[in-house]
Amino acid sequence: MAMADRVLVVGGGPAGLEAARGIADLGTPVLLVEAKDTLGGTPWESYATLTPHLAPTRELMAEVKGAVESHPLIDVRTATRVVASEGGAGNFQVTLEHGGARVVEAAGAVVVATGFQHFDPGRETQMYGYYEYDDVITLVDAERMMQAGQFVRPSNGAPPRSVAFIQCVGSRDRRIGNQYCSKVCCGIASKQSIEVKHLVPDAKVFIFYIDMRMYGFWEDQLYWKAQEEHKVNYIRGIVTEVIKKGDQLLIKGEDTTMGRPVEVPMDLVVLSVGMEPSAGTLEMARIFQIPREPHGFLATVGEPLDTVTTPVPGVFVAGAAAGPKDLEDTVSMGGAAAMRAVSLLRRLAAQPA
Amino acid sequence: MQQPMKQAYADVPVEEKTRLYREVVQDARFDTYLYGCYECGICVAACPSARFYDFSPRKIAQALAREDVDLVYEQMNDDVWNCSQCFSCLRCPRGNNPGGLITIMREVAVNNGLRTTKEALAGYTRIIYKIMTTGTQVSPDMLQEDAFPDWGPQVKEVADHLAVWRRALPPETMHTTALSWEVEERTMRELYAIWKWTGTLDMIAQLDEGLHDIMEEIMDDALEDSGIA
Repeated sequence: MAMADRVLVVGGGPAGLEAARGIADLGTPVLLVEAKDTLGGTPWESYATLTPHLAPTRELMAEVKGAVESHPLIDVRTATRVVASEGGAGNFQVTLEHGGARVVEAAGAVVVATGFQHFDPGRETQMYGYYEYDDVITLVDAERMMQAGQFVRPSNGAPPRSVAFIQCVGSRDRRIGNQYCSKVCCGIASKQSIEVKHLVPDAKVFIFYIDMRMYGFWEDQLYWKAQEEHKVNYIRGIVTEVIKKGDQLLIKGEDTTMGRPVEVPMDLVVLSVGMEPSAGTLEMARIFQIPREPHGFLATVGEPLDTVTTPVPGVFVAGAAAGPKDLEDTVSMGGAAAMRAVSLLRRLAAQPA
Repeated sequence: MQQPMKQAYADVPVEEKTRLYREVVQDARFDTYLYGCYECGICVAACPSARFYDFSPRKIAQALAREDVDLVYEQMNDDVWNCSQCFSCLRCPRGNNPGGLITIMREVAVNNGLRTTKEALAGYTRIIYKIMTTGTQVSPDMLQEDAFPDWGPQVKEVADHLAVWRRALPPETMHTTALSWEVEERTMRELYAIWKWTGTLDMIAQLDEGLHDIMEEIMDDALEDSGIA
């Protein structure tokens, strides 16, 4: 069977967009498949602003999204799912489903960029009352409110006088089964704490943490900025329980550096939920038979020097499908996967038939 | 932040504690003395007082950052005089100055004449008097055998022949016994002027009114004679 000179990119978020643009700019046709109705992925759908510069998400992403949508070498299929695959490197025969109809398309290589999903804070044993109390929300719920330009208590629509972020929800927890750090939640919570102070200047904002993981420039761009300019209070100690008290939420924890228990009422509690492989990522692992690494994300070979090559020949991964990532790493992986996929096709084309 | 544990100074109204807390944070130096605290403990590790007392410059910074008016009040009463003001804590990676925060808290405590401050400083009235009237602090003739028994028998030997020992020092300005060194009259007048005009002398009024009145008279007379006042 002849080699297919085309790359299938699965997922139209930041990693998939960058991979598709990179492959097409190198002159190789792209079939970009996205399950949702629009490109842009989780940030486009749910985030008001992007970390660390607080730039409006849609303004910032419109450029790359438009470049992909208008690229003559990129065939964009939204509201479409990959449901089966046969063959291998050089000639995958991939079945796509769109509105109940199925078609088979050929591709020489595959970039899986199906991303992550946020941890469901009501699923496990944590007693934060996410599904019980209106005023317990997640980072994602907060972003959605900020998309509408406001930050209020869902219970009564009033601006909160006090806000507590609880870090590491669904991350770093053997009991839950997620032993990894989700990497970005410290930065996102700090970013949001700054935005809360912009929207509700009088609110007292607390961040309860185990370790603050503000690597690189996020240290002073977010952590110092929140603490020094916006007087956000970082308290080392994780809240064990949130209970309702009157029309407020009583949070119970320990202020470990001060060596004393903390029991304080809050108007709003924000759970800093971590990352897990998305349903689409698990589905692609099954369809392309990609092994999962011990934390459940898609495995890569050649770490740490090769971040995108999976154990399956011809299949590459980009972004949070391979583990928790910030946007910079996600987009960088998109570029690296594009380069690897195109170079594979060129190597195969150069081989004698 | 509230705490369920037993609180010191529970009888002092929160309005009074808040007033003193505000005096501290509204001090012009405050913003450059406390940026943000990692709670890393480097200041405690460097602090000589922390080795000998239940004292933590980290907790001073944290209490202020947490806007914990109860704890700040407690520290202003019970902790700030345990600091030797050596500023070893300036090695803070965030550029904080816990010792400087303590300076501000001490000044607020003195200006407001806290009972505990009067008690803490009661033993120092002699030294305050000495400094503010003579311009030098501990004078050689304070080193008497009865005052420093733990320093051994040589204290008596030195005290008995103090003038001779002092004359053995190379700088002539240190051939003194009642003063640490010779202070020129002009320097003294300048010090009086500084202490009066910066409000330093006024701080003493809250601590020890009698001492304040004596010193003010000395200073006023000297300044008047010199034509400065």
